[in-house]
Amino acid sequence: MARPSRLLLDPLGAVGGAVMDIATHLGAVVTLLVRVLRSLVPPRFDLPELWRNLYKMGNQSVPIVMLTAFFVGGIMVVQSAVFMKRFQATSLLGWGAGYSVLREVGPILIGLMFSGRVGSNNTAELGTMVVTEQIDGLRALSIDPMRYLIVPRVLAMVIMLFLLTVLGDLVALFGAMLFGKLIIGLEFGVFYAGLVSSLGVSDLTHGLVKALVFGLIIALTSCHFGLNVKGGAVGVGRSVNSAVVGSALGIVLSDYFLTYVLT
Amino acid sequence: MIRLKGVHKRWDRPVLDGLDLHLERGVVWGLIGPAASGKSVLLKTVCGLEKPTSGEVWVDGQEISGMDEREMMKVRRKFGMLFQNNALFDFMDVGQNVAFPLVRAGGVDPEEIEERVASRLKAVGLSGSERKMPNELSGGMRKRVGIARATIASPPIVVYDEPTAGLDPVTTSKIYDLLRAIQDQSHATVMAVSSDINALRTFVGRIAMIYQGRIIYDGLESELDGCQDPVVHQFIRGELEGPL
Repeated sequence: MARPSRLLLDPLGAVGGAVMDIATHLGAVVTLLVRVLRSLVPPRFDLPELWRNLYKMGNQSVPIVMLTAFFVGGIMVVQSAVFMKRFQATSLLGWGAGYSVLREVGPILIGLMFSGRVGSNNTAELGTMVVTEQIDGLRALSIDPMRYLIVPRVLAMVIMLFLLTVLGDLVALFGAMLFGKLIIGLEFGVFYAGLVSSLGVSDLTHGLVKALVFGLIIALTSCHFGLNVKGGAVGVGRSVNSAVVGSALGIVLSDYFLTYVLT
Repeated sequence: MIRLKGVHKRWDRPVLDGLDLHLERGVVWGLIGPAASGKSVLLKTVCGLEKPTSGEVWVDGQEISGMDEREMMKVRRKFGMLFQNNALFDFMDVGQNVAFPLVRAGGVDPEEIEERVASRLKAVGLSGSERKMPNELSGGMRKRVGIARATIASPPIVVYDEPTAGLDPVTTSKIYDLLRAIQDQSHATVMAVSSDINALRTFVGRIAMIYQGRIIYDGLESELDGCQDPVVHQFIRGELEGPL
């Protein structure tokens, strides 16, 4: 017979335990951030590792980000086209797609995609390095894993999510424009005019600030869970799971606060 | 060279329990003991990869247990270490793995590094394997790459954690032959941990046994068979009856 869950037997204890758990992880992530910042002033990290990670995390994510963004643009049009037509407001399609893609949908969807692809891979890689003593191997060779492994990865993730968001925004808008033409016959010029006449630089920067913060959250969360793997292969799997859930939660919560502050 | 005074290490249970040890320069010292008796922890404590809960660890006249990570980096340059799982960097090929200690130490020409890597790989019987990735190698080959990396910078102290774990008897003999050849050239201080007692005894001059976090025997290898301690007696003979 299955054992009753701790939530039923000891609800206060279970909630308290969960809160303590979250606080412990949050504290460790903040400590990791401080250590990363200390390695950046003055800059003391491995440049070849940064290049390697920029390529691995960025370049190889381009196809999936472009594909996702293209169809996200299409979805925006499919969802709104009926109403735009009904209210004869098709000229607002460019503004509507641009506003939602640049400010919200672009950074959050690309962030989640990046977390699933790059963040989880980063946790698995670091976790495997912990389990197979490669991190201790670096320390034994007098190499600071923070400067050699962590800082280049954090920088690469922040930079690459920013750049991928720029690229994803452009592709999503292109997708929206194309689907606008295909679904409701909206001319490219009309879409473009709606886009540029109503949107400003602040709409773009709003989304890009979010991309920077999401990049930092994904980087720190994935590195934290990767470095704290316990219990072999099973532990690596558990940490990857925690990193993806933690990053997604961090993205959604920070998105709420950033939207509140930046609007 | 290496001195431990009353070293305790505790996680959820005591792992090292008031351990004392003194190793002179150039000694080849072996450590045996049952599983989970603290062998690897002892090696990592000496290298500064684990901090003792209490006690003193002296390496080359420096007390290292209170040092921060930056100071420890300097101390660790004196060590070469072969890990139980080899700890080869799987994102680097064999050549890069072996060259890594020289590259990171700096001050060595790339051509000289290349030459030394080729010569060290030849010494461990892996000539021409520079471009292979660790996952393309067998267990014995990975061990040999690990040994090459641990010794390429000619460190004054070399630590071997289970150098022959999981290897067949012939490969085990080859590995110990290799370790002897390296030792004949380097005259480093060696700490070696192995579960293969007989093979280890062919390599070391001094041997110790750890049990419940304490060294219960430490003496010449040739005198181990005469030890009257019932735990040592049972362990080295692999008997079923006894205190273990």
